[in-house]
Amino acid sequence: MNVEREGDYITLSMGPHHPATHGVLRLEVTTDGEVIRACKPDIGYLHRSIEKIGEFLEWYQFVPYTDRVDYVCSMNSNHAWVCAVETLLACSEETKLAIPERAEYIRILFAELNRISSHMVGLGSMTMDMGAFTPFLHALSQREFINDIFEKTCGARLTYNYMCVGGLVRDLHPGAEEEIRAMLKGLERAMIDFNRLISSNNIFKARLAGVAAVSAEDAVSYGLVGPNLRGSGIDFDLRRDKPYGLYGRFQFEVPVGKAYAGSEGRLGDCYDRYVVRLLEVLESIRICRQALDQMPPASGVEDDLVGGWCVAKAAQKALRKPPVGEVYFRCENPRGETGYHIVSDGTKFPYRIKIRTGSFTAMSIFEKLVPGLMIADLVALIGSFDIVLPEVDR
Amino acid sequence: MTISVGPVSDSIASWFSLRGLPLALSEILAVLVVCVLPVVGIVFPIAGVAQYFERKIAASMQRRKGPMVGAVGIVDLVADMLLFWLPRWKRRAAARRVERLPVLGALLRQVRQWGLGSMAADGVKMFLKEDMVPGGADRFLFRGSTYLALTGAFLAFAVFPFSQWYHMGDPPVAALYLGAVTGLVAVSILEAGWSSNNKWSYFGGIRAVAMIVSYETPIALAIAIVCMWSGTMSLQGIIAAQYHPGWFSFAGWNLFQSPLLTLLAGVYYIAALAECNRAPFDLSEGESELVGGFHTEYSGLRWGLFFIAEYGDMLLVGGIFATLFLGGFQSPIGEQWIVSLPPFAEAVVHTLIAVAKALASVGFMMWIRWTLPRFRIDQVMKLAWTKLVPLALFCLFGLALTQLVAAQRVGVVQVVYGRYLSAPVVRLDLFSWFSSWVLVGGAIGVVVWMAKRAAPAQAPEMRRLLGKESA
Amino acid sequence: MIPRSPGKVRAKITHALERGSEKSIALASSPGDGYFSGSMSPVPSRNQSPGTALSFDAIFAKVQVRFPAAGAGSAPNGARWIEVPAPQALDVANFLKGDPDLSFDSLCCLSGIDLLRFPAPEKDGPTSDALVCAYDLQSMKHRHELMVKVCAPRPKPEVPSVESVWGVAGYFEREIFDLLGVEFPGHHDLRRILTPQDWVGHPLRKDYVYPEAYGGVALKREGQTFESGPYK
Repeated sequence: MNVEREGDYITLSMGPHHPATHGVLRLEVTTDGEVIRACKPDIGYLHRSIEKIGEFLEWYQFVPYTDRVDYVCSMNSNHAWVCAVETLLACSEETKLAIPERAEYIRILFAELNRISSHMVGLGSMTMDMGAFTPFLHALSQREFINDIFEKTCGARLTYNYMCVGGLVRDLHPGAEEEIRAMLKGLERAMIDFNRLISSNNIFKARLAGVAAVSAEDAVSYGLVGPNLRGSGIDFDLRRDKPYGLYGRFQFEVPVGKAYAGSEGRLGDCYDRYVVRLLEVLESIRICRQALDQMPPASGVEDDLVGGWCVAKAAQKALRKPPVGEVYFRCENPRGETGYHIVSDGTKFPYRIKIRTGSFTAMSIFEKLVPGLMIADLVALIGSFDIVLPEVDR
Repeated sequence: MTISVGPVSDSIASWFSLRGLPLALSEILAVLVVCVLPVVGIVFPIAGVAQYFERKIAASMQRRKGPMVGAVGIVDLVADMLLFWLPRWKRRAAARRVERLPVLGALLRQVRQWGLGSMAADGVKMFLKEDMVPGGADRFLFRGSTYLALTGAFLAFAVFPFSQWYHMGDPPVAALYLGAVTGLVAVSILEAGWSSNNKWSYFGGIRAVAMIVSYETPIALAIAIVCMWSGTMSLQGIIAAQYHPGWFSFAGWNLFQSPLLTLLAGVYYIAALAECNRAPFDLSEGESELVGGFHTEYSGLRWGLFFIAEYGDMLLVGGIFATLFLGGFQSPIGEQWIVSLPPFAEAVVHTLIAVAKALASVGFMMWIRWTLPRFRIDQVMKLAWTKLVPLALFCLFGLALTQLVAAQRVGVVQVVYGRYLSAPVVRLDLFSWFSSWVLVGGAIGVVVWMAKRAAPAQAPEMRRLLGKESA
Repeated sequence: MIPRSPGKVRAKITHALERGSEKSIALASSPGDGYFSGSMSPVPSRNQSPGTALSFDAIFAKVQVRFPAAGAGSAPNGARWIEVPAPQALDVANFLKGDPDLSFDSLCCLSGIDLLRFPAPEKDGPTSDALVCAYDLQSMKHRHELMVKVCAPRPKPEVPSVESVWGVAGYFEREIFDLLGVEFPGHHDLRRILTPQDWVGHPLRKDYVYPEAYGGVALKREGQTFESGPYK
């Protein structure tokens, strides 16, 4: 930082206990009045060394820890880990698992439902950062409905531990499909209300338009992923371009940023990222409906259909002696690409797990992006990146 | 020596002295009744009640069930607090026994349903919290600013007309006094922000000063324009000038006198929102940006004083809005039946009407607060200096022009109302009415044209998000 | 008269066209189809892959022409990567990003691996104690992927920083510096990132000794050991 006149600047310690930082993020902000001249993120307050813990656990025991990597979308984190391990096992014919089709559909269904609920938290907390409290609660009430469904199926509302290597822990609860359809219908109506209330609000647009625009080159170079990358106009979605699971069977659009805010807006600004998330919710609703339509029915014999105990036993057998080697598996989470770089030395313990998360890499652009913004813009920026701190610190 | 602040205090003083009190004492008592009662008896309770209604409004707008729908009952709460030594199930049983009581139980059930329990709990919490002064703070200013905030909020009520008989005073320059006194809020917030020894508070204070000073301009202009229109700076005079005989007395309100005045009312209301630091102008508080802004470091009752000052400010601003544009304490459906009442009853009815109008404005402010997001500081400044001030100036020149024309064509009308035997008022004739419509229509046209030119067509995705186009 | 809003009609037409094209694309199972290979043949949705993606062998050939010291590595599970000597890492990175046919513009992941206890590839073969930086790269333009590995031998592990090539590498390198103790000369701000600045040791190293206390606070319960994992 080039400090020309020392003393004209104020150094603010924004966080770790600041309402807008969504957790325990600390930003060392140097301001000139309201305008920020330099910003240094200070992370690690929530570091639990999950990667190190993983080296002491057996492969299947790591699933609950993935819940804690990103607790806003635990299902997606589970999905990413389970798929990564299954990819490793699929490298060898002896250890390859046959995953029941219904389990695959339920995984995708729940991953998309959790994507919706995660986006609801992200969008809602962003509106709250902008000073509008009502849409926040409207958004969170929709998340509660999704949590109800999850709770009925797997017994937890936040950290689900629902997927296991080879399948699922148990089948959907009876009547779940009707419940999910009704919930999706209500969600669509609620989204229109939400958008009329806040997304089309002129103050809201003016607050976000043209703020912290990230160019496409910067977005790629600084490792922005997911909605943040697509907000900058890059048409890339792992679910479509590198489909894992059964994502190849679904029809959906990939929304990208187009300077939605109008004449004030620029490509890749906060409003674009916000709108991309909104549109993704609608696409997730589409995917959920398709999954419900295509899903093979439950036959009552749970183990055959969703993995359950007998497949889990097969998985355990395979996981006692997995193939030696490395896998980098990428999965599209609500906060973008979640990658698991797994190194296996052929024992029942992972040799090394590296978790690549969207929020951590998004932090890297702050130093470059923030100077020149105002304090209120910084709050908007944190909200629009939808940063979740356990994912940053792991 | 006699002190007198108006006919009401005179009559009360004579009532006391007739009952054998010494004259000086009875006059002091009368002044206390007249001056302190409005603040202690009307404004303080309303600040609490307004907070209760704000919770109700917020809860219903957010479609949430919470303490306002009775999730936590006061019965359980009181039982829990009083019988803390008992195990929990016994406390529950005790609560249930209380609920079965004939009168008290029913009352408590009602209270629970109305959500008064959380109000009471909040009040108790506020009183019992420790009053902390942060280390390194300027203790004198830190404490003083709370009193200054209250002073700023309540001094203005000294000239506020609750009725034509019931007010603390009506100086002929009441409008000037208003402008001077409401500025104290900015000073108190700056003091609080500066003395807290906290950078967030400091930012809040600076933002508040920048904003309030800017918004004083359109407010002062609006008040000045109404004074020009009514031909007096006395608030009683302004209200008297809005008198319209007959049952449709709302036709005399300034709001409906000229489209320019309607526009001005909008300008004043927006600026007044900023003046009380209410959303969308709550930048000095900005809990998501500045943690708590200027009152970050305040706790307990001292924070509560800021809170009451805020609600007092809102009530004041609503009352001034009613005074300037909504006929003050006059009823919208004819004045003759109220004026013909005995003075005491008239004062009560008029006070109720004035408070009701002020509360209506306050309710509108709450609605706005729970709907809109917050502005950014540069947008706030832009709004004040490039939109509100030019609009107010436009109203000033337009009204002056139309008033001049009308005075030439019709002349000055004498309005007779209450003890203001003659208030000289200019009413617009048909020609000046139309010409002001042309002015306003032209202004609206220019604004719409500029907005249309600036805004490109809506992206189809946005239309889809708003439900206007199906996927 | 000028037709006022053709947008809706046009949107319908383009939508129908897109649907048609989606049906007409009958792609075979693409290599990126993941681990799943069920009995049903998947119907892939629109894949944006431009068809210019290179295979690993082609990429390796291109790299080797420029950097003869680079070698190819592979794991028993079929994973393949390019091994680059540490001093050349920055040049290779610049080449991988700058070459129009490769254009690896995105660094997906940069993970550090401590090979201290990794079993030897062959039975009774030599083991390595190096610290490895694994760069998972992807090209947004061509949509191909590559893993590059750089070995940093143990006493003084050093890998030149590639922060100037991929901005995100700055944070990844700080993380590896913090948890594995690899130095990255050329990094503008190489500090610890996840652990406190005064933390001792690098936790993800396999020979890491768990500290007894930090800042006067005991970190172990009585009788607790951290030796119960896979390395008895």
